[in-house]
Amino acid sequence: MNFRSNNYLQLLRRAFLSQYAGSLGGLALAHLLHPTNQEVHGQQLYENSSAPKANAIICLFQHGGPSQMDLFDPKPELSKWNGKPYPSGNLEVHFDKQMGNVLGSPFGFQKHGQCGMELCELLPHTAKIVDDITMVRSMNTESVDHESALRLIHTGRFLAGMPVMGSWIVYALGSENKNLPAYVVLGDPGGLPVDGERNWTSGWLPAVYQGTMFRSGKSPVLHLDTPSGVTEPARRNQLKFVEELNRRFLDQHPESSELAARIENFETAARMQSTVPEILDLSTETESTRELYGLNRPETKEYGTRCLLARRLVEQGVRFVQIFLNGQPWDTHSKNAESLKGLCGRTDQPSAALVQDLKQRGLLDSTIVMWTGEFGRLPVSQGTDGRDHNRHAFSLWLAGGGFRQGYTHGATDDFGYKSVQDVVTVHDLQATLLDAFGIDHRQLTYPHDGREASLTDAEVTKARVIRELLA
Amino acid sequence: MNRLPLLFGWIVLPALCSISAARDDNPDYANQIAPLLKTHCVKCHGPAKQERGLNLSTAANVAWGNDHGAVVVPHDLEASRLWKQVEGDEMPPDMPLSDAQKTLLQQWILSGAQGLSPAVSDKDPGNHWAFRTVNRPTIPTVANSTGLVNGIDYFIQASLEASDIKANAEAAKRTLIRRVSSDVTGLPPSLEDLDRFLADSSSDAYSLMVDRYLASPQFGVRWGKHWLDAAGYADSNGYFNADSDRPLAYRYRDYVIRCINQDKPFDRFITEQLAGDELAQLQPEQPVTPENVELWEATHFLRNGQDGSGESDGNPDEVRADRYYALESVMQNTATTLLGLTIQCAKCHDHKFEPLSQLDYYRWQAVFYPSFNIESWVKPNDRFVYASLPNEQLHWEQQKLAAENRVKTLRTELDDWMKSHRVNGEILFEDRFDTQSAGLAAQWRETAPGDDSTGGSVAVKLDTESAPAAVIKDGKLWVIEGGTQGDSWLSTQRKFDWTPDKIGESIQVTFDLVDNKLPNGVAAERIGYFIALHDFDDNSGTLGGNLLIDGNPTEGTAIHLDYPGADSRSLGTLGTTGYVPGQNYGVRVTNLDNAKFRIEQLVNSFPDDKPIDVKKEDLPDGGFGFEYCCGRSFIVDNVLIERIVASPTENPPTAELRKRQKEVAQAVKQHAELVANRPGKIAWGADMASELPEVHLLARGNYAARAEIVEPGTFSIFADDENRFEVAPRKSSQKSSGRRLAWAKWLTRPESKAASLMARVQVNRLWQQYFGKGIVTTPENFGISGAPPSHPELLDWLAAELIRNDWSMKSIHRLVLNSATYRRSSELQTDSYNADQNSRLLWRFLPRRLDAETIRDQMLAVSGDLNLAMGGPYVATKRLENGEVVAPEDSADSSRRSIYLNQKRTQVVSFLAVFDAPSIVFNSVRRNTSTMSLQSLSLLNSDFAVRRAQAAATLLKLQTSDDRKRIEMAFQRSYSRWPSDIELSDSIRFLDQQTQLYAERNNAREQAWQDLCQSLMASSEFLYVE
Repeated sequence: MNFRSNNYLQLLRRAFLSQYAGSLGGLALAHLLHPTNQEVHGQQLYENSSAPKANAIICLFQHGGPSQMDLFDPKPELSKWNGKPYPSGNLEVHFDKQMGNVLGSPFGFQKHGQCGMELCELLPHTAKIVDDITMVRSMNTESVDHESALRLIHTGRFLAGMPVMGSWIVYALGSENKNLPAYVVLGDPGGLPVDGERNWTSGWLPAVYQGTMFRSGKSPVLHLDTPSGVTEPARRNQLKFVEELNRRFLDQHPESSELAARIENFETAARMQSTVPEILDLSTETESTRELYGLNRPETKEYGTRCLLARRLVEQGVRFVQIFLNGQPWDTHSKNAESLKGLCGRTDQPSAALVQDLKQRGLLDSTIVMWTGEFGRLPVSQGTDGRDHNRHAFSLWLAGGGFRQGYTHGATDDFGYKSVQDVVTVHDLQATLLDAFGIDHRQLTYPHDGREASLTDAEVTKARVIRELLA
Repeated sequence: MNRLPLLFGWIVLPALCSISAARDDNPDYANQIAPLLKTHCVKCHGPAKQERGLNLSTAANVAWGNDHGAVVVPHDLEASRLWKQVEGDEMPPDMPLSDAQKTLLQQWILSGAQGLSPAVSDKDPGNHWAFRTVNRPTIPTVANSTGLVNGIDYFIQASLEASDIKANAEAAKRTLIRRVSSDVTGLPPSLEDLDRFLADSSSDAYSLMVDRYLASPQFGVRWGKHWLDAAGYADSNGYFNADSDRPLAYRYRDYVIRCINQDKPFDRFITEQLAGDELAQLQPEQPVTPENVELWEATHFLRNGQDGSGESDGNPDEVRADRYYALESVMQNTATTLLGLTIQCAKCHDHKFEPLSQLDYYRWQAVFYPSFNIESWVKPNDRFVYASLPNEQLHWEQQKLAAENRVKTLRTELDDWMKSHRVNGEILFEDRFDTQSAGLAAQWRETAPGDDSTGGSVAVKLDTESAPAAVIKDGKLWVIEGGTQGDSWLSTQRKFDWTPDKIGESIQVTFDLVDNKLPNGVAAERIGYFIALHDFDDNSGTLGGNLLIDGNPTEGTAIHLDYPGADSRSLGTLGTTGYVPGQNYGVRVTNLDNAKFRIEQLVNSFPDDKPIDVKKEDLPDGGFGFEYCCGRSFIVDNVLIERIVASPTENPPTAELRKRQKEVAQAVKQHAELVANRPGKIAWGADMASELPEVHLLARGNYAARAEIVEPGTFSIFADDENRFEVAPRKSSQKSSGRRLAWAKWLTRPESKAASLMARVQVNRLWQQYFGKGIVTTPENFGISGAPPSHPELLDWLAAELIRNDWSMKSIHRLVLNSATYRRSSELQTDSYNADQNSRLLWRFLPRRLDAETIRDQMLAVSGDLNLAMGGPYVATKRLENGEVVAPEDSADSSRRSIYLNQKRTQVVSFLAVFDAPSIVFNSVRRNTSTMSLQSLSLLNSDFAVRRAQAAATLLKLQTSDDRKRIEMAFQRSYSRWPSDIELSDSIRFLDQQTQLYAERNNAREQAWQDLCQSLMASSEFLYVE
């Protein structure tokens, strides 16, 4: 292995110190606060990795398991067999007592762009960006249970409490803006997604690496607002007083980087009070941008706002932005077709707009956009008009950050039940995403539970970088 | 494991050569290698400084290597990183070894690295330092014993002297009391405690102070939390998004706090938790004793893991996996908490780094399996036992009876009131079923008025008892339904106009429901009756009618129009009251506006909630009748059909009625709550069936791949002829397998390897809480892949002390707290610091941030808000709309200690979470200490912090009006010390400035004081113990 030693060593030192040197929080914070520090970002870490293209990622996460055969993966066989018993062997079914006959997609598919990627009629806006994206039709995962599958795609394990990919990336690369968290979650005003805060937990990585939830509304970050009645000058004066107290204490322990960091934290907190509202203020965006994201239409306004915020955060140097939906709306156990119309109406335009906007601003080369759920759905009906969970196949798309353009990867069987060609596991996906950042997934480790734990746990999962996905 | 193969600063060079066969005159570690390492390496890789985590000062440490693996691999130069460094002259950095020295090292490695700790060179994991029986080490002699108090200090002093480091002197008294109070109780010293201690100049002032805190019930609260974290305690089931409630888990939490306060011997403490049910062996007829209750409460230890099996809804494979997860959680919690072993790898294959085989894993699983039998699973909510003490039971029964009587009294009063306020109309039809002689046939028949066919395929027979039949008995009408034919009826002969002509006029039918079954019969599922009954088989030409009112025993009444037949349709639900015997029921139809007619359900002649409006054509003229269906028999009386001209809403007084109904409803609810809250319910862990299940090894850990049957057992690495794992033969009366008790006995037998390891793990965690880091820095992993102890002999000595003192944990607390080591100041001494920056050798007390619960509890204490109530169900927490999780401040319980807040895994109180409180996804034996801006935001802007500052300011105001005195008091309460002159003047200046800045407000000075108090609580000195 050839390391470009400096960066590799810094990475290692971080893992090392966290176990043996204490004051881990202070140390980690130092990374977050000092972007000029050599070790935190923007560097090529390994010579044996591809040159990193990406330095940020926006994940548009679609909780519930979007139906691949109704959206991204056309299956004419399904229509032929519609209403007849499934002819092709046993299916693994979650609600095993409600399985029905083959259910064809009611939606038409068409070829789009120069690449001719086929998409369903519900995605007219995604159709405009097909030449920018990589479509993966051959995903699979290991669980048909929502929570387990979510943890698999976020953390690589089906158990709760493991660090998510965002935490790993931020742990490896730090942030580029000392006034903002490196990992931001844009929550749905309607509520938390299924599995709640575990979707952005740092698990046993230090808490500094967990996602910070930005909520919609006036107070996006918890406790960002000064309490009512406390005026700005009074607060400034109070911060000064706290700093005097803290400096006196630091004077007694001048060696403590943790106590020094604590002083800096108050400054950062104060700066966040002004920077965060600035970022969330969309009034500086042009009318055409607002229209692009669909802010002028009620059905796209909310999701569009968050997609636009994601771009603004990335512009400010936030490393990982994740957009979630309330509950798990793509979990179409009944009224599959009807539900998909509504969901695509809400997400299609803003998702595509994000890619277009990043591209026109020259940010797409360095920013990955990922659109995915946790698993797919079955070719047969559940009840009369629903689809049950399917772990053997699902589709997702990626754009930017070095991913190939206008490329469709892999294939499922004739019924879309199982990925059969160029299969990509969730672990492969993670390895590939880390690679796009220039991180070797086998070497990004942290001591936990008696071992050097990693996101992909490649020895067990056989995770590998899927080179074909990268340009 | 993916051990990183390289150290930083390391360069891999090609292999140069290898030296042939080992010689007879192999280099000797003690006489040749150790001195070489000591001279050239130990300065940077020794007990004081462990660059790259490497300590080359002892054989055991050389053998262990560092976190990245072994540095010396016997017979293998290429794999021996120590050699590679030396060979390339990378190390030692300043003065490379001579060729002769290199050759010596090379030969030593090639000949098998003789003399290293047997753990490596013999490749016998049984000799691993943690797996050996504890032999109480002798206390070392030291050159300078001035100020040393007990054995701890001698071990510490010895290693300090070896590294030539000078230890700090004792800390100031005010520092000591704050340190002890925070560590022992999690609370700051009260001003009285502070004064008392500072005033006490006697030689035993310190140890008396320690004893006072150790005797405080708050000791159990603080150290109970440490245990609960390790044991994986939570108030919710976790696993799925639902994260359902564990309403009874608190009894285990309270048990733990009690035991810790009582200093229950640890061997007993853990035996109760593993096998309290097997210790109890209570016979059904025996009265429950408090001892029994405690034993059962203790077994909730087995239930602490996540358990989603109550919500499991997938296919059979998923359901099985969810169950196994609960079983595996128990094993993981037990292994890390008690033995410091990471066993999960052995679930699928023999452990790669630890001497734990897959067979070991499943043999041990068989110990717990009878309590968690996958094939005959018991869901979490069904794992309970009632164990009420005799007086508790009696008290409850008396209360229940009183509540029952109250319901009866209020009901009777209500009935009487209603009867006396009934609206009576013009009687159109009346049958009181009193005149047997006239018979039913006088007014009733089996056919609807004017219909050409009988109601139902089998017609109702009148005045007989052979079903379906109607007969008058004892002055009541018996509706006797016998079969499954259904759809028959008993109708009035007359038809009635169900749509009164004038607006506001009504027609109503009422009857007494005497019983919902015949004597010795089955209760009817529904009490059904018709109005506007006119046609059975839809051939009359008139639509609508045949309005079936299908009375449900517990809730609203279903209404169907044009019943029976395919064109029948539901009109929804009428009313909210269920049909129970002893009440009078019926319906009233009122003309609203000539087009719409309102149907109301009548209960004891008074309208119920939720009427239904119908059209005039829905209610053609027709009879009234009782429905016969599906074996539903019942007894009625006093059928009355009346016409009411006056508007029934004007009279009687509905407000009075509602009030009385509400009283009844409340009494009923109270009674139901009492019935549901039978005392003595304990959520326990126990073997659920007397048959012994087969336990299989699972190939590759795959739940579907059952391999050979395994017998219960324990880890073979601890095999010990003196301490065999033996399950006692079962008595015939015994349901339990006895396996857990056998394992607990095996685990706790003094002198055994198992007990030695357990004692080490416990004293290490205790040490970690007092010093920030354990003697072993990986408290969850004492295995070969764990960190080696910084002071192995001290660790063994403490473990031996614990066992020798009959497992009294308090005896170890006392030892540590009284030691000079614990009492050292945290002051920085340059020489010592340069030699040992992280105070691994404990030359000083390292300042340490308080944990989340202590920060919250201390803020409550300083503000005077703290509520010290002990025990009971958890205090509810709430997720606000902005996502913040809080203990709502409108309840006095919100200011209780953090341990009593709902420990819901997916809803950790935000203020605690931001300071690294774990969500207990797994058990937690070690916490991170992070430093983030979000903490500053919480301290400055959270409602919790603002309220504490307000309360603290109010408290000061009440104490004195003198600004200086107030400031002094604020510093004492927050920091346990007086302010310096500069701090005093700075604080006064700050107060004045804030008062100026708030000049526009009428409470400027109050706000200024609030800001001062908040600043103190947000400052580092408050958040840290020195």
